[in-house]
Amino acid sequence: MKSEKLMGQWIMWGGAAMVAAFILGGASVGMAQESVAVRAAKVAGALPVDDPNAAAWSSAVPATFPMSPQVHWKDRILEATVKDVTVRALHDGTQVAFLLEYADPTQDPDDAAALEFMVGDKKAHFAHGQPMAQVEGGPVNIWFWKNKADKAVDMNAKGFGTLKAQPHQDVKAKGTYSNGTWKVVFARNLSTEHPDEDTQVTPGEFINIAFAVWDGVKDASGELREKGSQKAVSSWWYFRADPPADYSGYMYAAMAVGLALGFQFVLIRKLKKGQ
Amino acid sequence: MGGSLTRPIILLAITYALLKLVVPNIPGSAPLPSSLIFLYLMLTASGIVIFATLSGESKDAFWGPIQRFLTGENIGGLQVLRYGILILFPLIVGWQTYSSTAPSDQPPAESRTIHPAPPGEYTGLSNPVPKTPDNIMQGKGFYAAFCSPCHGGNFDGKGPAARGFNPPPANFSDPTTIAMLQESYLFWRIKKGGVGLPIEGMPWKSAMPRWEVELPDDWIWKIILGEYDGAHQSPRTWE
Repeated sequence: MKSEKLMGQWIMWGGAAMVAAFILGGASVGMAQESVAVRAAKVAGALPVDDPNAAAWSSAVPATFPMSPQVHWKDRILEATVKDVTVRALHDGTQVAFLLEYADPTQDPDDAAALEFMVGDKKAHFAHGQPMAQVEGGPVNIWFWKNKADKAVDMNAKGFGTLKAQPHQDVKAKGTYSNGTWKVVFARNLSTEHPDEDTQVTPGEFINIAFAVWDGVKDASGELREKGSQKAVSSWWYFRADPPADYSGYMYAAMAVGLALGFQFVLIRKLKKGQ
Repeated sequence: MGGSLTRPIILLAITYALLKLVVPNIPGSAPLPSSLIFLYLMLTASGIVIFATLSGESKDAFWGPIQRFLTGENIGGLQVLRYGILILFPLIVGWQTYSSTAPSDQPPAESRTIHPAPPGEYTGLSNPVPKTPDNIMQGKGFYAAFCSPCHGGNFDGKGPAARGFNPPPANFSDPTTIAMLQESYLFWRIKKGGVGLPIEGMPWKSAMPRWEVELPDDWIWKIILGEYDGAHQSPRTWE
């Protein structure tokens, strides 16, 4: 008698669990997303930290982001050369590498590109961490590359006019130009010893990322058309380094299949006995 | 399989067809989310079960065929279907469990308030600039110079500089933007810009300049006149 009662409870709980699984599953289906995130897949071999043309990049999923001229700050421009950047990323558990790719009709010494990240838990305005009236913002970490130096400068800013290179330089960068396209690789360790200045990349966590590009072409009077805050910019988007493989979903699924099979078995056996 | 199961199945099918095909086509309605359709079908099914098990006979008539089907006794050709269901059911449960417990691969969802409450000092201000054709024309001139690169020459939010910004610049010809706001609200948004938004407005994402740095107040009020006129909208007023 007791075992039969227990069995009844089992059936009830099994049924309830299944209904719950259906509702949860049904509710999470179908959330289409645009290309709002750069994802760094984990690679087993060497990371192409200084080779924009490495074969490994072909395995990285590209994400394309639209660019606007910088209009937020008063030293603005109303048209910038670069209209889109395509971004790929890879990591190996220690380092992360980004490949920025964009069309630029001319190769100039002052061609430049940058990645921007928030630092720490505080939100930072995408325009160099401009102060916000009602929200206490944090600094931004900027990884800047310029063609004529062909190396990275690791910088911080908290508002326009506060941009400063860090005393410790952790970022590497290298650019190559061919067929009207710049390819620039930025690389750094996922984490650094300066969490107050450097963005920290934790695999599995989404962080904010933004892009900036300067076309170093000069106008008829020999002046740079794009310089300083006169550049192409993007809004904040997301970046994530893929976490180590997590198979717990398969385990839970296997357990659910087992439960459902057991439920069927018990139910049918009970029905057969009852007749 | 008696006829007692045919009616519930037909009823469920009709309910599904109503929700999926008829309801979305009622004027003013919209397609129902699948989770809501699922909920309604569950309610219908529970109703059927409750109704079918009201009396002893109806209960037997309802459960009898189901029991016979599940135990597989004397069901003839339906045996194949029975095995199919017995195999499929655990697989569906497994798949649903996987998709609801697998770690999310999507960026965090962002719920940004598009028109958050303005600070107290920016509520109920009236436009000190008289609404004359001259002032409207001047406002449109300022709009063309300062606002149209993003908000567009047609007031539709599709200016040449708009493409990279997320959130996109407001479309003033859309009845859900300036038409449902007061002039006072626009004055605040233009003067203080994106960085003036409260936290629920996600100020860190907005490209809107803080125009108080560059434009005198009366220019901003004129821009507001020009904006409403150009977008063929009227400010919201106290009824």
